[in-house]
Amino acid sequence: MENMANKVARIPNLVDWSTGEVRLMSAKCNSCGTYFFPREHYQHRPGCSREGVENVLLAGKGKLASYTIQYYPCPAPFKTEKKITPYGIGLVEFENEKIQVTGIIIDTDLKSLEIGMEMETTILEMYTNEEKQQVVTWAFKAVQ
Amino acid sequence: MRDVYIIGTGIHPWMGFSEQVFTDFAAVAVDGALKDANIEWQKIEAIMAGIFIYGGNAGHLSGQYLESIFGETGIPVVNVYNACATGSASIRMAYNSIAAGETETALAFGADVSPKGFLTAKSDNAVQDRDVIRWKMGGLPNPIYWALECRKRMEKYGTTEEDLALVKVLMSEYGSKNPHARFKKQYSMEEVLKSVYVCDPLRLYEICPVSTGAAAVIVTADEELISKADNPVKINATTMGSAIYGDPTIRISALSCPSVPEAPMLSESYSASRQAYEKSGIGPEDIDVLELPDNSSWHYLVYLETCGFCGDGEADKMLRDGETKIGAKLAVNPSGGFSSHGEALSAQALWQVIECTNQLRGRCGDRQVEGAKVAMAQTYGLMGNSGTTIMTV
Ligand SMILES: [Zn+2]
Repeated sequence: MENMANKVARIPNLVDWSTGEVRLMSAKCNSCGTYFFPREHYQHRPGCSREGVENVLLAGKGKLASYTIQYYPCPAPFKTEKKITPYGIGLVEFENEKIQVTGIIIDTDLKSLEIGMEMETTILEMYTNEEKQQVVTWAFKAVQ
Repeated sequence: MRDVYIIGTGIHPWMGFSEQVFTDFAAVAVDGALKDANIEWQKIEAIMAGIFIYGGNAGHLSGQYLESIFGETGIPVVNVYNACATGSASIRMAYNSIAAGETETALAFGADVSPKGFLTAKSDNAVQDRDVIRWKMGGLPNPIYWALECRKRMEKYGTTEEDLALVKVLMSEYGSKNPHARFKKQYSMEEVLKSVYVCDPLRLYEICPVSTGAAAVIVTADEELISKADNPVKINATTMGSAIYGDPTIRISALSCPSVPEAPMLSESYSASRQAYEKSGIGPEDIDVLELPDNSSWHYLVYLETCGFCGDGEADKMLRDGETKIGAKLAVNPSGGFSSHGEALSAQALWQVIECTNQLRGRCGDRQVEGAKVAMAQTYGLMGNSGTTIMTV
């Protein structure tokens, strides 16, 4: 990815681009096998020993399990410099991890959205902070 | 355990944002309930109060504030929050306290003022409060969660935009006949389908807004009070459920959900309703009136399945065939539902119980379900909260 050095996530520990590919920061319980996103949002199976939870990155690509188009601006504390409404929201399924994650859909024709289509994780530039860094969140776009 | 009856109910009608002190609404509802039960305040031996989360000290200790209005008597006052199922918690505690013989007569109440504008995060701690992440990073107002599930349903079961609109057409017909309803305009199919999308496939008229209102219910096992009451309504079961591991529903405020289901959808409501069926010995086939939480048209459909009134994917046909109308074997939301009222968080579960009670007491005028003997109130609250109350006359 170009120019990733000057970007900062609005909230840390959710999205990673250090490997050159944008990926969601998950955690996996090695006892019950459940993946969590965000990492701290534990969802252990009842009776699990909760041992061996490790930080992992989700796959970079998944399939669209559901979507909607939001026609009204999201209220604060959500904030973007540019108007993004109407915007797509996808629920993207990561098959191996058995988890679906929500995210704003960008760089994709919203009319082309279809359940089952392949999506990749990317980032959305929300606004510039006082240190002149681009503040970002994770997003999804259709695989070209 | 002994039998417990509802002998009095009171409502402050649902409305939009209000500058009034919220305990004033509560007092109106409680006055109504005392009058309906034909008893003095001093007969109340416990207060189970739903808290009002935007009300600061007064909201978090709503039971104490209410008690001081009517006169403090030293009785137990418990303040409780379970999101939109808060009222289920208060009536369940009142019921259990009486059934166990701890108290004879108790009051369950909730009053809530909708915030001006949108509901949003209440802390700034992104590690422990997932609401912070969903608002700052996710761009996820509540109806998006319902739209994501609704789209899955349309793909899986063939639910149509007309089905979603038909829910509103029915709800608005019933709401127009309900003096407690906030929205009394009746809509045609064409008008609903012309309303704007909020989040596709859900339109403006297919989701419910936030409202202001108060509700109070007096329950008792005191035989003298029961014999004096006008058509006392027996509570056969009042239960609560939480979510079950592996529930595939994308829950409000969550950023993820399992992709391989190991539990039913809306498992908290599945759990609450099954507990109620087991405890009461009453099943879906016995129920004449069902008040379900139609936060959106999707909820109306899925709740018929979650609570076992039909099989998965069969609710659309039930709706289309008129099997959920007043006059059919099962009348669903003869009140007009949340669609005609809007949500008043800590009050709405009690409001649903009151609607059922009024149907069983034959007090519903133009929207009365003839011969109603068995009614069920079903709630839904975010983050895995639900309650079911089954009542009979
Ligand atoms: Zn585990």
